[in-house]
Amino acid sequence: MSDWSSYRLQDLIPFTQEVYLRLLQRVSEDTWPLQIALLVLGLAAFALALAHRNRLALIFLAPAWICSGLVFHLQHYAELNWAAPYLGLAFLAQGVILSLLGLTGVGIDRQKSFGNLPALIGLSSVLIGVVAYPLIAPLAGFSWMQAESFGVHADPTALTTLGFCLVVLRRTALWLASIIPLSGALLSGLTLLALALPWASALLGMLGVILTALVWKTVASARGVSDGS
Amino acid sequence: MTHQYNRRHALKLLAAGLTALALPKAAVLAASTATVKKPIPASGEPLPVIGLGTWRTFNVGSDPQLLAERARVVDAFFQHGGGLIDSSPMYGSAPDVIGYALKRLGKPDTLFSAEKVWSPAGGTTREQVGELARRWGVETFDLVQIHNLTDWREHLAALRELKAAGKIRYIGITTSHGRRHAEFEQVMASEEIDFAQLTYNITHREAERRLLPLARERGIAVIANRPYDGGNLIKGLKRRGKQVPQWAVEECGCKTWADFLLKFIVSHPAVHCAIPATTRVEHLNENMRAGHSPMPSAVCRERMARTIETL
Repeated sequence: MSDWSSYRLQDLIPFTQEVYLRLLQRVSEDTWPLQIALLVLGLAAFALALAHRNRLALIFLAPAWICSGLVFHLQHYAELNWAAPYLGLAFLAQGVILSLLGLTGVGIDRQKSFGNLPALIGLSSVLIGVVAYPLIAPLAGFSWMQAESFGVHADPTALTTLGFCLVVLRRTALWLASIIPLSGALLSGLTLLALALPWASALLGMLGVILTALVWKTVASARGVSDGS
Repeated sequence: MTHQYNRRHALKLLAAGLTALALPKAAVLAASTATVKKPIPASGEPLPVIGLGTWRTFNVGSDPQLLAERARVVDAFFQHGGGLIDSSPMYGSAPDVIGYALKRLGKPDTLFSAEKVWSPAGGTTREQVGELARRWGVETFDLVQIHNLTDWREHLAALRELKAAGKIRYIGITTSHGRRHAEFEQVMASEEIDFAQLTYNITHREAERRLLPLARERGIAVIANRPYDGGNLIKGLKRRGKQVPQWAVEECGCKTWADFLLKFIVSHPAVHCAIPATTRVEHLNENMRAGHSPMPSAVCRERMARTIETL
């Protein structure tokens, strides 16, 4: 225990901020213009969720996880971080989980209202993940090629999916589909924090809000209110 | 290939002998412009006091732009007569990046390759060393250390066999951040090792109490890691915008804070090499200049420590 307590967060991250920014850039360069197609996919899934086509929305998310797992984690990040291959496999598994939930309809939330707090937070998270997240790096003074986009980079993919989960899933399925994006984004947020990247706090803050909403929805669901049960 | 290794080893020893013959012991530390070298106790081979660490800085994967930049850092290191480059299988792609640089630049005779083996041993020590040699593009390593004392008994036995077979030249152990000093001391006191790598800098001086005196007593060369405390020390001093005190400029040639911090470390009689890591050639140049004499006296070193305490 005393050994571990002597480590700082920076001691656990085996690369520098410069290397991480180059990673983001290289992933963008290698995938462009796939980002456009994935942006359209994300917005289409958002529209489907608004139209209460929840199962189809989940199925639309699956390719984003497969793509991000393969390109970001397995193809690029694995060169720098021993944990990345495991994260890549987790991303592929998440694609399978979303597909299965969409295909079977297990755990789909049937409520028609978006007037509750978890749903509002969920819809906001989707829009932030798909539309706003790619703007963060350029607004923080970095290049457009260092912008992170849904379906390519890990963090916006996770944020967007957590938002969808809050809108379209309930109870066990809600947590089943949230655990990988939540864990992945938390690890990523801590990495950004260690690298002193300016959007670390924003990501961790959003995760805090989303986690609160997940607990809120679970409690409300257990009480049989606001979740259509 | 063993022939190459022996020839290189012999050349280094010859250089050490000539140096010792040509200059009295004190003069080795008093040369005015060349990098100060200290003899490795186990062999007398001279080792430049400033080496090159690679933790975080050399883990750049296959990024061509960053690979080229790191190769420039290694090139500058060798241009300054640098010797020891330290890496670890825990440093991600760093061993591959060193291998890239060595392939591009060639392997100068001054290269002193230092690697590590780590957990789990499980009979894999030889495989670990072989795999790392492939990644560096070298036949043998000068030094292989047991990373953070992990599985040290098993690793040490295997490393001794590799040393006896001429596959490696020196054996070492490492720790950092002041961890496991009691066990580290026990290994230093009871086992035949050539090098001990530990954290030692102007704000982390715990090693002065027991480990550094023990190293001198046992004839163990010491490599100081985290000379800038992970970068915090040098960044903090530069951020304050204060100049190096005039007395430090006059008494020990400290023109920059890098000089101040590194000279403090390598002027300790038990320390043979400090291994700052950097990504930039201008910082590498600063680091390497800190290896030039004059070096601070014991009195001056205490004054340096007090100066940092008061900042």
